[in-house]
Amino acid sequence: MSDIYDLVKRYPWLPSLKTYYSNIALRNPLDFLNEIFSSNKSKDLKNRVLNLFTDAFNNIEQISDYSFDETNINIYLILRILLYALNDKILSNRVANIYSKTTYNVLNKENEYNLDCIYKDLDLEVNYEEKPTVYKKIVLKSQEEISRTNFKISFIDYLKLASKLKDDYRKLVNNALQHGYVYIKPESLNRLLQEHVRMKLLAQNIRESTNLDVFKEKLFEIQEFKELYDTIVAIWELKKDEFEYTVDITFKEGQDMSKVFPPCIKEILSKAQEGQNLIHTERLFILWVLNALKYPEDKIINVFSTLPDFDREKTAYQVKYAIKKGYTPYSCKSLKSYTLCMANKYKDKLCLNGYFSKKLQEQRQISHPLFYIQYKQFVASIKTKPEKTNLNDKDA
Amino acid sequence: MPDNKYLKRLFQAYYKENQSVIPILNLFEQREFGFIPWEKQIMNRHIGFTSPINLKKYFINNTPKHAYSSGSLFIRPENQDMQEKGYQGCDLIFDIDVDHFYTPCKEHHDIWYCKECGEKGKGMVKKCPKCGKLKLKKLNWICEDCLNVAKNEIIKLIYNFLIPDFNINIEKMKIAFSGHRGYHLKVEDENIRTLSSDDRREVIDYITGENISFEILGLQEKGGNIFGFSRETIGWPQKIINRIEKLLSKSNLEIETILSDKRKFNLSQSLIENFINFKDNFHKIITNNHNNNWTLVGFSLNAWNKFLKTIIAEIGIEVDVPVSIDIHRLIRYPGSLHGKTGFKVQELYPDDLDDFNPLNETIEKLDPIVFKSEKAVTQKIEIIEPEVPITKIKGKTYGPYTKGEKIEVPHYIAVFLLCKGVAKTI
Repeated sequence: MSDIYDLVKRYPWLPSLKTYYSNIALRNPLDFLNEIFSSNKSKDLKNRVLNLFTDAFNNIEQISDYSFDETNINIYLILRILLYALNDKILSNRVANIYSKTTYNVLNKENEYNLDCIYKDLDLEVNYEEKPTVYKKIVLKSQEEISRTNFKISFIDYLKLASKLKDDYRKLVNNALQHGYVYIKPESLNRLLQEHVRMKLLAQNIRESTNLDVFKEKLFEIQEFKELYDTIVAIWELKKDEFEYTVDITFKEGQDMSKVFPPCIKEILSKAQEGQNLIHTERLFILWVLNALKYPEDKIINVFSTLPDFDREKTAYQVKYAIKKGYTPYSCKSLKSYTLCMANKYKDKLCLNGYFSKKLQEQRQISHPLFYIQYKQFVASIKTKPEKTNLNDKDA
Repeated sequence: MPDNKYLKRLFQAYYKENQSVIPILNLFEQREFGFIPWEKQIMNRHIGFTSPINLKKYFINNTPKHAYSSGSLFIRPENQDMQEKGYQGCDLIFDIDVDHFYTPCKEHHDIWYCKECGEKGKGMVKKCPKCGKLKLKKLNWICEDCLNVAKNEIIKLIYNFLIPDFNINIEKMKIAFSGHRGYHLKVEDENIRTLSSDDRREVIDYITGENISFEILGLQEKGGNIFGFSRETIGWPQKIINRIEKLLSKSNLEIETILSDKRKFNLSQSLIENFINFKDNFHKIITNNHNNNWTLVGFSLNAWNKFLKTIIAEIGIEVDVPVSIDIHRLIRYPGSLHGKTGFKVQELYPDDLDDFNPLNETIEKLDPIVFKSEKAVTQKIEIIEPEVPITKIKGKTYGPYTKGEKIEVPHYIAVFLLCKGVAKTI
């Protein structure tokens, strides 16, 4: 049996899955599920799928019990069916992220021989050269940082994997291109494969609802699948609220800003995440807010990425322009005039009643959404220090 | 415009006489065609031809002012809905048009008039230098100098980028003089056709040097010193170092002239002096792989960034970016006539480029000027523009002219001036 046969167990998204495991990979999904759930592997399989979803919902970086066995192949296939049936973009993102990150970590542990097999299986024009090539050298005083690699990838395949990732260091212009190939270290190439796997899982997500309903009805006739589905939905419902606004929106690594957002911001982010259209003033406002909060450019762009008319190129231009100009977000007064104030809709006490200023010894109204965030952050910091009990002593 | 009928008849005669030599594009049946008629400035596109004969018939029967075809291949090129055409991929197209970048000769032959304040002048301006308004009427002209600049850009594109960096087979490059102010280069390669718009943007960024990060490539400040690129870093750093080396090989006087050029480096006199004093040392540093210390008095990290951006502008290619990125663009059909000049869109082999001179081509089959006759027929026309710059074609100079002038010029000059819309028949 070839090397790729074993590699498929580790990486079931490889095209060779259909060659070596055609008995399951090419089967009708309903037949596959019926058989797998009536086998003695069923319990282990369900546990591992559930663990994967739970890890994803808990925002863990890596699947805790990822194994390189045949069950791993079944998990991957079930995962695709589940994501299709669940049809929830945020959930799918969560799962695709953890799955692809795990893939990346596992790939980084492979030897060069296996990596070469994997790249070839993906039909990537990647060449391995026995002698490593020095493709980058940075000299700082007496320190030399030399980048060498045995791998190079055709620029066409490189672009197909990398052009949607907008990081500067992945741009072709900042890479070592020569004779049609980009010199690349396996870790960097594996990071591109991570994105490939992520997109492959997310590609399941777009289906017509009528077809989906018919398909789901048939799936639910398989009792074990239905139970698994329902359990996942139940866990998701409980977890969902925790990160409703934090999917792609984090101010600093690990810091959840959503709880301190005023309703005007929450409303727009919520609409964006649901993939609703935003009006021009909503777009400008949220762009300026995120920029004022020093969100990274790509994260700001990603906030808009779910909009029906999203155009990355245009958005990137507009975001860059706004950052350059450094506009200040609308004040509460302006938000009201644009009917973007959501204080009444959300019945937000801070917006409606204001806060007590110790310095001025009077009740004050919030006049700007950024001050709202500042105030909430202050209150949150006080809560972590119990000896300071007065929650209203923050002054503007 | 009565002259449009006249020009249309001339174009028609050309198409009748030359139907056998009009090139047939590869994968012809999968291309979308578009035409702009003489009667109105609206493109009639989404046209497909099942056979080259039908295209030739179209040229003769409809005789368009401008003719275009797609870089893209479609299953149903004639379908009006882009989504329904059955997109199969797109050639990679580069368009180099002197309209989009500065050349010194424009100071002599490009004329602008401000519609707001009445100011007029010469050169390349985006807005009126007097009132700042954008409503300008422009009369852009061509000369051997600016067409040479465009040609050199195509040569740079091929030999500095497409071959050494992208390894594109020269036989897959289809080059054409556009018939007016530039050149097209089309890469017809099965794999390259699969590139998305995002991918093409990356290719364009590479060949223009746009979005380059000096920091990622090695330019850094540490402990008050500036550390530059290494020659061992493949890609742009090597190109930059080679260009700097070329600059350093020049005489002090030449360096001073280059670095003080206001449109390029625009360095102050003291910085130029520091640079020249550093010259020999700098040359040693960039040829030494173990010392990248580019620290130079007066050159902060910002100054180096500015200096390197100018170097990049010199190395990079001046391409019309949207043409390369947009997979639905149409470009001029080779062998067709350009309605703004009467010149032929002339296909060229890379080897032809060095000696090719569109305004005075000696090789008959490469000559884009088609309306010339053995008998040196002349034609009388009247100038209708306030000012018409000098036109130098076939080694002879015509003009400058002013409004109302009645002139007798060779037929091809008359066609050129009529197509440019600066004259009328009398």
